[in-house]
Amino acid sequence: MSHTTKVVITWILLIGMVAGMQPLSETLNTERLIRGYARPTQVTKILQYDAPAMTGVIVGAMLGGFREVAASMLWMRTQSLWYEGRGTYWDALYLMRMTTLLDPHWLEPWRMTAWHCAYNLYVEAEGDPEAQARMLELGTDVLREGISWNPDRYDLYFELGWTYFDRIRDYDEAARWLGAAVQFEHPEYIERLIAHGYERLPDIPKALEWYDYCLKRRPSDETAKGATITIRERYLPAWRMMEEGRYDEAIAHLDRYLTIEPTSTIGLHVKAHIYEEAGDLVRAREQWRLAAETMALNHHARYKVAELSSKLGLPVPEHPSYIYGERRRQRMEIERPIPDS
Amino acid sequence: MFVSHTREVANIALAIRTEHLTKIYDVGWGRQNVGIDNLTLEVEEGQIFGLVGPNGSGKTTTLKLLLGLIFPTSGNAEVLGMSLDSAAYKSRIGYLPEGPYFYEHLNAPELLRMYGSLFGLRGPDFEKRIQELLELVDMWDRREYRVANYSRGMRQRVGVAQALINEPDLLFFDEPTAGLDPIGAKHIREVILELRERGKTVFLCSHLLKEMEPICDNIAILERGKLITRGSVDELLAGDVTQYRVEARDLDDEIIEQLGDGVAEIIRLDDSCRILFDSREDAFEAATRLEDAGAYLMTVGPDRRTLEEVFIDAVGEEPKDASSVQGS
Amino acid sequence: MRAVYRVAKATYHEGWRRRFLNGILVFAILIIGSSWVFTYLQPGAELKMLIDVGLGSIRFFGMLIAVFLGVRLIPDEIEKRTIYTLLSKPVSRGQFLAGKFFGGLATVISNVALMGITFYVVFAIKAPQFAIPTEEGAPQYSMEFMYANVAKAILMSFLELAVVMGLAVVASVVFSWILAAIFTFFVYFVGQMSEFFGHLADPETGASPAARVILGTIYRIMPHFEIFDVREPILTDVPIVWGYMGRTFGMALIYIGIVLALGYLFFNRREV
Repeated sequence: MSHTTKVVITWILLIGMVAGMQPLSETLNTERLIRGYARPTQVTKILQYDAPAMTGVIVGAMLGGFREVAASMLWMRTQSLWYEGRGTYWDALYLMRMTTLLDPHWLEPWRMTAWHCAYNLYVEAEGDPEAQARMLELGTDVLREGISWNPDRYDLYFELGWTYFDRIRDYDEAARWLGAAVQFEHPEYIERLIAHGYERLPDIPKALEWYDYCLKRRPSDETAKGATITIRERYLPAWRMMEEGRYDEAIAHLDRYLTIEPTSTIGLHVKAHIYEEAGDLVRAREQWRLAAETMALNHHARYKVAELSSKLGLPVPEHPSYIYGERRRQRMEIERPIPDS
Repeated sequence: MFVSHTREVANIALAIRTEHLTKIYDVGWGRQNVGIDNLTLEVEEGQIFGLVGPNGSGKTTTLKLLLGLIFPTSGNAEVLGMSLDSAAYKSRIGYLPEGPYFYEHLNAPELLRMYGSLFGLRGPDFEKRIQELLELVDMWDRREYRVANYSRGMRQRVGVAQALINEPDLLFFDEPTAGLDPIGAKHIREVILELRERGKTVFLCSHLLKEMEPICDNIAILERGKLITRGSVDELLAGDVTQYRVEARDLDDEIIEQLGDGVAEIIRLDDSCRILFDSREDAFEAATRLEDAGAYLMTVGPDRRTLEEVFIDAVGEEPKDASSVQGS
Repeated sequence: MRAVYRVAKATYHEGWRRRFLNGILVFAILIIGSSWVFTYLQPGAELKMLIDVGLGSIRFFGMLIAVFLGVRLIPDEIEKRTIYTLLSKPVSRGQFLAGKFFGGLATVISNVALMGITFYVVFAIKAPQFAIPTEEGAPQYSMEFMYANVAKAILMSFLELAVVMGLAVVASVVFSWILAAIFTFFVYFVGQMSEFFGHLADPETGASPAARVILGTIYRIMPHFEIFDVREPILTDVPIVWGYMGRTFGMALIYIGIVLALGYLFFNRREV
């Protein structure tokens, strides 16, 4: 074979292989997505973020197989800073944020970062209620971003729901996000948590619906069993009376239990709700305020106070613990779609 | 797949033929260096051919072109009657590069085994050949040494052995005696002469003119890529022998002056004196007289030139790398 | 084939004698062998940490070895002039190139195999301890799947490194070895995100037409190294099917074929 022939054959082979490369790699990329070997790159999402975030994601993508190692290294560094008490909490936040951007499909850093904001930095910001409110928002925003990267897993929905439930005590949001979590494969206790969220919202029928659902799936669920008994005995009758418009009777029914257990969150909330339904917004506001002041971190009650104050044209209580609730109300006003009719 | 190509090509008289072979190196920024310029050469089979010239005159460039390691800018060449593109000639040649180097982790037999296997050589006969070759280059006793521990001379010896591994018809030796002690160099020269005895063609490149002189049949002199002169050693060295020389030591001017009319020219060398005569009789007479006068007589005979002189004549100046031309 | 085999064999033996690469290998094995130590830093995610550090190290150190060995194979032969004695024998340029590639590849594969075995041993000992049982008592991960998946992931690393090796060898024919190393790293890292470039080239992203053309070209000509990344299915316990492995193998062959063909075209007329 002459030299020229060899070169020509090489060129033909080369062109053939380059032509064959594209379709096969397209097939493989699609197959990876279908089989769950890869997650779709959310480019439009990345573009929404600021430049540093974009850089983080690009660096992460370029590191390819090592992005996980890089993220792990960063994470280890965060942890060592953490346990040795070196650096400030803010340094840790920075490292955590970088970790989430390097490997956005790694859930742990999202969880930890949110927890860090909503719990540690919240405490750090003691004495600055404004900053504290911001920390709570930051924590939930981190989880929202994490969810947008990992929308097909229950983990971060649950984490966000739990943060609302346990930390912020914003039962509206808690029920909403926990409800989203159970759309995916999930541990059973989340179903019970949703019920807990609804009973504190309060939406007694919904709460019962979820408890019954839990019992149907696991008849041996003692917690759910106990909860349904309590709710049916204490709150359901009052709720039914409220639905029938017998507000005074409902209040009287509730007060029987509230005298025994005056700090019952569910009791206080249901009572406030009944006033609201009855149209007695002033009393409702007072009742929510009572609930708020019974528990330091009941932002749901504070939000309700802020909401009702706004409706009544009254000032939101001066106390700094209302800042988050008021901010949430303002945000809701922007976000809430204009009701039809 | 290569063995099949080693068919005998009958009656090729020429081992190497080049026509207007030119190699110009691009050294970047539009500048060019001439490697060799319009070289036309013929090397007959069965002879020892010396390509000589100072360092950088294009000897190695020529060799690399002939071996297909680099490619000519223009002109063409044939080796063993085959074009450089065919590569089939490579199973019939041997090559000893200048300052050869080998895979460090191997010892000499392993190295030869590896090279031999490239020609499809193996088996007990081949093992015997390895031993013969290593004995030939005086490396058999040191066969366990790894290349990493070799001296330059040992690498040179193994280099010769690997060039001979396939019993080539044509050998290319680039500075074969470089780095060898005088005994080793003499030994290699003997090997080269023996190869000619066995009908092989040897293409030698060297700047060691004194070493080339006694072994080469034909010589070509290169200077800055150009062929200055070529011919058989006898022709080149003989020049036009119209004069006779007497060379002697330990003589004083007085005796020289007494030599009389026959003297054509007196050349004073470092520690001796060369006296040229127009007639043979005058020269021999003068020699007798000088000896009688107590001088130490070195040569008497036709004024045959040395290769060095031929070279200096041809180039028209001292070779650039004068010290190396003087020889080791 | 004989010539290719001989060159490859010599290259393989020579490859093992490179101190720099031995150093990387020893270091890599130490890291992989002690990867379980790092897991204490991450309660709850030990398995992830173990797999990240282990497989990540194999890919990372394997790539270092492939690049630095690959870019030195041919330049070393030229610098030390060992190439003269080879190419003046019946060894064609193509055979020499292929021999260097396969010899280097054999070195990388044996290096990676050592790392892989180390990791596999660590994984087999430590992973069952980290697999957290769920409330029902069933293991969260099924270990049989995991063992198979980890082995497959190591196989995928081989394929990836073979492509990297080919790139490095060929780049060293065209550029100086330092430039070739930089070039190979560049292609490797950009190739990791070629999919991403493909998405950026989408009109939806609002990139300018010129930028889209550039991004689209990168997407089309860069090797898609992300196809070799199977960490996700390991962590999510999805089996890596043989069909996918086969197609990836085919893809790797095409990539290697392309780089070697390019290498042949360059090296054919390369003066040594």
